[in-house]
Amino acid sequence: MNDLMLNSAVHSPQEITCGAQQLRETVREKEIAPQTMLEVFEQWAAALDGRELREVPGLAFLRLWLRRGTLEPILLRELGPDFLNGGWREDGSARLRAFPLGVVGHWPAGNVEIQPVLSLTCALLGGNGCLVRIPGGLVEITQQIMEKLHEVDRSGLLTERTFMVSFDHSRTDLHEAMAQAVDGAMIWGGAEAVSQLRKLPFPHWARVAVFGPRLSAAAMDAETWGDRAERASWCRRIARDVWQFDQRACSSPQALFLEQSAGCDPDEFVNDLRQALEEENRAHPREQIEPSLTSGICLARASWLLEDAANRAVFPASPDWTILLGRGTEIPKPTQGRTLSVLLADDLSEVISKFDGTVQTLGLAVKSAHREEEFARAAGRKGVDRVVKMGRMHLFSSPWDGVDLIRPMVRLVRHVRSHE
Amino acid sequence: MNTPVEIAQGIESQLMAPLYGLDPQERHDSLLALLKKELAYACDRNPRFCNYVEHWPVHFHRANTLADLPYLPVGTFKSNPPLALVGANEVKRTLTSSATTGQVPSRVVLDSETSKRMTKGVTTIIKDFIGPARRPYLVIDTPENLNTQGELGARGAAIQGLGSFATEVVCCLRRDPEGNTSLDLEKLLDCAAKWRETEVLAYGFTYVIWTQLVQRLQRQGITLDIPNVRVLHSGGWKRLQREAVTREIFSAGVASVFGCSPDRVVDFYGMVENVGVIYPDCEHGNKHVPAFGEVVVRNPLTLEPVAAGQQGLVQVCSVLPTSFPGFLVLTEDMAEIIDYEECPCGRRGTSFRFVGRVPKAEVRGCGNLETTRYQQGMGNGLHE
Repeated sequence: MNDLMLNSAVHSPQEITCGAQQLRETVREKEIAPQTMLEVFEQWAAALDGRELREVPGLAFLRLWLRRGTLEPILLRELGPDFLNGGWREDGSARLRAFPLGVVGHWPAGNVEIQPVLSLTCALLGGNGCLVRIPGGLVEITQQIMEKLHEVDRSGLLTERTFMVSFDHSRTDLHEAMAQAVDGAMIWGGAEAVSQLRKLPFPHWARVAVFGPRLSAAAMDAETWGDRAERASWCRRIARDVWQFDQRACSSPQALFLEQSAGCDPDEFVNDLRQALEEENRAHPREQIEPSLTSGICLARASWLLEDAANRAVFPASPDWTILLGRGTEIPKPTQGRTLSVLLADDLSEVISKFDGTVQTLGLAVKSAHREEEFARAAGRKGVDRVVKMGRMHLFSSPWDGVDLIRPMVRLVRHVRSHE
Repeated sequence: MNTPVEIAQGIESQLMAPLYGLDPQERHDSLLALLKKELAYACDRNPRFCNYVEHWPVHFHRANTLADLPYLPVGTFKSNPPLALVGANEVKRTLTSSATTGQVPSRVVLDSETSKRMTKGVTTIIKDFIGPARRPYLVIDTPENLNTQGELGARGAAIQGLGSFATEVVCCLRRDPEGNTSLDLEKLLDCAAKWRETEVLAYGFTYVIWTQLVQRLQRQGITLDIPNVRVLHSGGWKRLQREAVTREIFSAGVASVFGCSPDRVVDFYGMVENVGVIYPDCEHGNKHVPAFGEVVVRNPLTLEPVAAGQQGLVQVCSVLPTSFPGFLVLTEDMAEIIDYEECPCGRRGTSFRFVGRVPKAEVRGCGNLETTRYQQGMGNGLHE
């Protein structure tokens, strides 16, 4: 295996500096045709179908992400058809062409298993070399995924542009060495992590894209959740969104708002939702849990029911899942760990009006296209960056957090011909 | 309002039973029956508590084991006003936990009956470990914690709880006008000279004993020479663990400054939410449950009770409180079950060892808004 690809544990700033230098030289010397890259990604997606990787959370999303059918439209939208063909785009009397920034540093979050690879692919698509810091808990999974790339990328087109490193999060010297060695950065994670990483000594030319902490919610209009024929299917969708990433991703719904209506029985809905959560639990049971999360789940259940004698809840004796049912128009403090607040609200517009910039994704299940359009507009105005169908809340796509994923890591070079 | 006679008699019966001598199954069954009555009583007294209990996956009337009964996470006792089963006019005393800076302390309300039972419970347990005799009582703390009334912290509660064993009480720390605490060495040496031949009881918080007494006396090369002292301590190991002070190092250090054997140094585990019950270490290093309480150690993955030899989240149980719903409390501590039947020390029933606090989750990832929206100003780690 190419050493650059999975060097993993590094101990000194020099190792990082040398690795980055090699990446930079590779990027300068060799260009990869986007079509060739898409072909390798397609093969990589196919190789990730192995039994040994099936239990990796989010792997199905990753496979979908790597497909040509996903990436080609994103490249087309962000960089245009000429980029796909390796050519220049005419722009009046000039022409434009995308070139890589050089070396892009990646600081993925520790809670989404596939995020190191997602982040990496965004910069690779721009033709960059990638220096990726793998969070301690994700080293093994990332290695497994990258081994599949190595199998399909026999000529090393992508692997030679990748340098994956792991080191303790407290090693400021190594974070600094990474920052000093890059031309661009993609930073993902919680508030504390993001604010600390932003302070690193990046070169003045480096472009830094930050995908900071967010939370998400879902909403259903009365017509949808009151529809007995469709309700179970929608419950399976929200259950899937809750289950993925143990409800710890920025795109994980923490609350589901149900539009109140006289003809709709919340008990029937909760019963269907309970069945859907039980089904997810049977299919994807937890194998481990942090004791503090168990404590948090128990406390969330108790606090909710003690807060108001009108509040209700459904949960098993284990911490596997929890439904907290009541009334409300604001997203409660998230517990995560598959604890969903289901809140009845008279008016979904009022719910959305209380969103702020912390809400990333709004999962919707609304029958009327006109009302959905209204909700999407209102959510956009209130800082929501993604409005998607419930059940697809984690589907990684561009833009993410309102930002393009590939374009920020390329330079658009303007060429004005000298003889025209 | 007085506790219903049936419940009061049941509690009294458990308090009078052989402390660690009951057959485990017999003890379990009597506790289960009494706790069911207490839960029903608490539901009548507090509709919000009733709401919680009624949503429990197994209704308590149908519970076959104590582990099936609805327990409250310890964090629920941080609510304000505190969870109560009595009116404000019946509250005799409010106990507060020793929350560290920035944290909200737990608060539990005691009426006269619960307060009496608390004293009786603690006294009965301590008697089993040190004998019934009254003796000089050395408090390794300041006098301010000795006579507090009304709202009482965990330190004060522990100090006062041992007061019934005292013939005289001496506090060997003093606080200067700036609030700094220091050792009153002169007073301590006077006591040591006076108590050389007598049985003495000493108590302090673990880190206070270490930092204010042991380190100070060791630096000065002073031995008190009170070989018949029993040194009880509590309050947790977190601060000392940071200084790499193990249980063995602590006991040896305390023994060296008192001039006693290390086995006369006894650690006990307790919390204000579990009134009337403390868990001293026996000579085999294990903690035991009294006739009026129980400990369930739960697997964090399933919340089922663990088998002997396994670790999990500690749930403490006590039949003593009737002024607040502290019968069944899930703590934020971890412990290992040693045995469910008997300990080599002869005490019967559940024996366990305290492992530590539940490690605080490393708040991480893109879904973490703790520091921005919900807990402004509270820090977390760099990235994972």
